[in-house]
Amino acid sequence: MAQESMTADERVWSALRLEKPDRVPVIPTLLPEPAAGLAGVPQAKVASDNQAVVQAVFDVYDRIGGWDNIYPATYKPIQLQAAGVFPMKMRIPGVDLDDQTPFQLDEQEVLKPEDFEKIAEMGFDAFFEEDFLWRVSDLTPETRAEEMTKIMVGGGMFLGECAKREIKPLFLANGLHPFFLLSLTRSMIPFTQDVFYKPEPVERALRRMTTDLIEKQLRIVKQTGIDIFMCSEERAGGFFFSPAHFERFWWPYTQEIVETLWAEGIVTLFHLDTDWIKNIPYFKKLPKGSAVLELDSTTDIFAAKEMLRGHLCLKGDVSAASLSIGNPEDIAAYCKRLIDGVGGDGGFILGTGCSVPPDAKFENLRAMIETGKTYELTRG
Amino acid sequence: MPSDIADLIVKLEREQVLEAVGERAAAKEDPLVLLEECRQGMLKVGQRFQDGDYYLAELMISGEIFKEAMEVLEPYLEDVRGSERIGTVVLATMHGDIHDLGKNIVATLLRVHNFEVHDLGVNVEPEAVVEKVKEVAPDIVGFSSLITTSFESTRRAAELLEQEGLRDQLKIVVGGGVTTPEFGEYVGADFQTLDASVGVTYCLEACTATTGEA
Repeated sequence: MAQESMTADERVWSALRLEKPDRVPVIPTLLPEPAAGLAGVPQAKVASDNQAVVQAVFDVYDRIGGWDNIYPATYKPIQLQAAGVFPMKMRIPGVDLDDQTPFQLDEQEVLKPEDFEKIAEMGFDAFFEEDFLWRVSDLTPETRAEEMTKIMVGGGMFLGECAKREIKPLFLANGLHPFFLLSLTRSMIPFTQDVFYKPEPVERALRRMTTDLIEKQLRIVKQTGIDIFMCSEERAGGFFFSPAHFERFWWPYTQEIVETLWAEGIVTLFHLDTDWIKNIPYFKKLPKGSAVLELDSTTDIFAAKEMLRGHLCLKGDVSAASLSIGNPEDIAAYCKRLIDGVGGDGGFILGTGCSVPPDAKFENLRAMIETGKTYELTRG
Repeated sequence: MPSDIADLIVKLEREQVLEAVGERAAAKEDPLVLLEECRQGMLKVGQRFQDGDYYLAELMISGEIFKEAMEVLEPYLEDVRGSERIGTVVLATMHGDIHDLGKNIVATLLRVHNFEVHDLGVNVEPEAVVEKVKEVAPDIVGFSSLITTSFESTRRAAELLEQEGLRDQLKIVVGGGVTTPEFGEYVGADFQTLDASVGVTYCLEACTATTGEA
């Protein structure tokens, strides 16, 4: 078998630059919940203990033999709420759910139509700090401060474990796209009604949030030194909205985010759930190499590759369902298809469609990782 | 000339739909005729969705208009409600999953098509599905999944239906963002889809085949 000739980081950046690395980079989206499932740790444990999260993640990483740069999974669910990563109500194992059921977001109509103007005026972060957090959370200012401290401690532990293994987090700057953030906090149907019937306040909020997001993420990237911003969006694509809505409410803000960050050398990694095939051609308008599209297996990644070949890197898309109820043979075969069909000329990272599911089978994830790490090196 | 409620629904003119339904119902127009106009509007929206002219957003918006119109009509329908049900559906998001947005959209669309819908909610135990099936003898049981942690309880529910001798009397449909054809096979479902509208079309066809109705 041929030997690897790149470090994990070199391999990842080679793919981002649309080059052909020594082998395809492999990066599953392993979050605390699947790490718990795979490590045999109760969900309630990783939902209440940062150290348990980091241990579970690296237990899986080590047992599987490692992969390339790793998702920064260091948090307890309540910290996602406290930090405003997911400013929503949530159900937490051991508290609202049984010990073995993973944490879940509880989407409710908490944001009100009148809040759009507040956001436009104050910015979402200030609005969140002063007002919104206390609508969705049972935290107090004191307990919130404690959780924020624990995030930093957990982050430190995570980075320490990365250093031991000579790997890096794939990114540290991350956030929801403003459109997705508003949809989640307002809830999907009311927000869709806002977009149709009262669009101007939505647009004013999006405008302010975009400006703030760019400023904040630039700052975080410069602090952390990892030139990738991870941006999640599940609801703006052609599965939900017409091109007219997409062009008005999503694309201009997105283009501004990507181009501004790219001017500073920062790549935007889009986590795009649902079917985006109708929207893929828009991404061709972005500067070459400025973004990565992480697809969740509902978008036809092979078709997307044909549209974006030599322009943007793709990441994906071993489905959550296959990792949960599939078998190693089928997963290995699919990974080979991906590597041949999407990764053939570079610009591809083998990843999971959305994230590794909480009930993934260990042998299935291992089949994905091992295939990615060995397929190209063994075939000569 | 009364307002064309169906046309207003297709145009997603919420205020005008509700105003027209309210005024015409108050003027003693047959509420079943008004209901049928609303349904026709929804069917046209569904056709536009099938044709690719409308998206899930329009489907959701029209569904909300339909629900609100039904609330306006409800007092007038109490004494005259028709009984021409296409079929009966039990819906559930199974244990391990608390998401219900997709399921709720399906429930609305099924009601538009005159299905009797029994929505068991989220995080449902398999035994509760069996109990409800025994109670209402549905034509279809629909399972919704947004995350894979409901896969096992969905399969368990299907197994229990088999064990109880109920499986042959109904169709099982699975849907939701994380489902795949392989998951459909895993559950032993008759149909799997990511698309609410396609799922409803399947239910219509299944019940039409069962009853022989057009």
